[in-house]
Amino acid sequence: MKYHISVFYCVNSFDASMLDRLPFKDRVVFKPVKMACSSMVKDVYLLRAFEADADAVVVLVCPEGHCRYVEGNLRAAKRIDWLRRLLDEIGIGGVRLVLCHASSGRANAAGACFESMLTMLEAEGFSPARSRWGAGAASDQRRNGKPQR
Amino acid sequence: MIVGEQKPISEIREIIAPYRRVLVLGCGTCVKTCFAGGEDETAVMASALRLSLKKDGLAGDIREWTVERQCEDEFIQEAARPAAECDAILSLACGAGVQMVARRFPDKPVLPGVNTTFIGVLEERGLFTEECAGCGQCKLALFGAVCPIARCAKKLLNGPCGGSRDGRCEVNPDTACAWHLIIERLTALGQLDNLRAYVPPTDWRTSLSGGPRKLIREDHRI
Repeated sequence: MKYHISVFYCVNSFDASMLDRLPFKDRVVFKPVKMACSSMVKDVYLLRAFEADADAVVVLVCPEGHCRYVEGNLRAAKRIDWLRRLLDEIGIGGVRLVLCHASSGRANAAGACFESMLTMLEAEGFSPARSRWGAGAASDQRRNGKPQR
Repeated sequence: MIVGEQKPISEIREIIAPYRRVLVLGCGTCVKTCFAGGEDETAVMASALRLSLKKDGLAGDIREWTVERQCEDEFIQEAARPAAECDAILSLACGAGVQMVARRFPDKPVLPGVNTTFIGVLEERGLFTEECAGCGQCKLALFGAVCPIARCAKKLLNGPCGGSRDGRCEVNPDTACAWHLIIERLTALGQLDNLRAYVPPTDWRTSLSGGPRKLIREDHRI
């Protein structure tokens, strides 16, 4: 079973066609969501991504100081910090939500972010709220020390 | 505005545990402004509860609805249909709203999702501060519109305690000394002589300390 990663990206920071060229794309199902600016990311959209069985959510924003709308990436960063604490409180795990700075001139930055996210998922496993996993199943899947596929 | 803060998810989970279908009911006025219970916050709370239940493998049906104000019956009525379809209502309004909703839907448990805290203002982005204690005897005209009842830790009415440092309260250095602000303001207005008049102790009978209060306007009652 593949990991599901929702990718909310600012169109000024990332080209979604890159997702098809990632080396581990056969292990991951990406769900890209494009935004005119990362400030459009709202807490409820990210939570609903987890409700829709995302194992992780990546938010790609422009580098600091490079947001064409000045502070959109700063607002996104604040919201994501807040939401990570809420995800910890719910028990999903704030590590599953990550903000990465990317730009069209720094494709490696986004690639490194996705690799890091995959490493995290290898350690943490599928989301405990994923539909096919009920209570207790999250621990079952880790019985052998790694997620079951 | 009335300022409130959402309860932790763990506490809300305990509160709603006996109920299967829960309506998260938001309010579009005070609690929207302080990011505790507006439409966005209601959507986040409902989603967070669904995720939390899903994680624990529990069956649950969490729905969401927001009305303009929960302190007025004509707005609460708009939630009649979603309320009828649920076993309980989790209100994200202030305490007054929770109780008003319970009066409108007496057959439904109405549960609080917010801790109502104070009457305050938005001092700057993301910062809400308490400004009014609802004492029922407003003396802001004397004090240059800085309230010593709400903003002085000692509720002094006849001058500062003398313990402030750099304009900060000695009881809580995180807050400004109200009397420092009063004197600055009255000086700017040329009304420092206001402080020559003795202000007698507050008669707390007009505050909540005297029991729940009521305001009747016969000119609006038909």
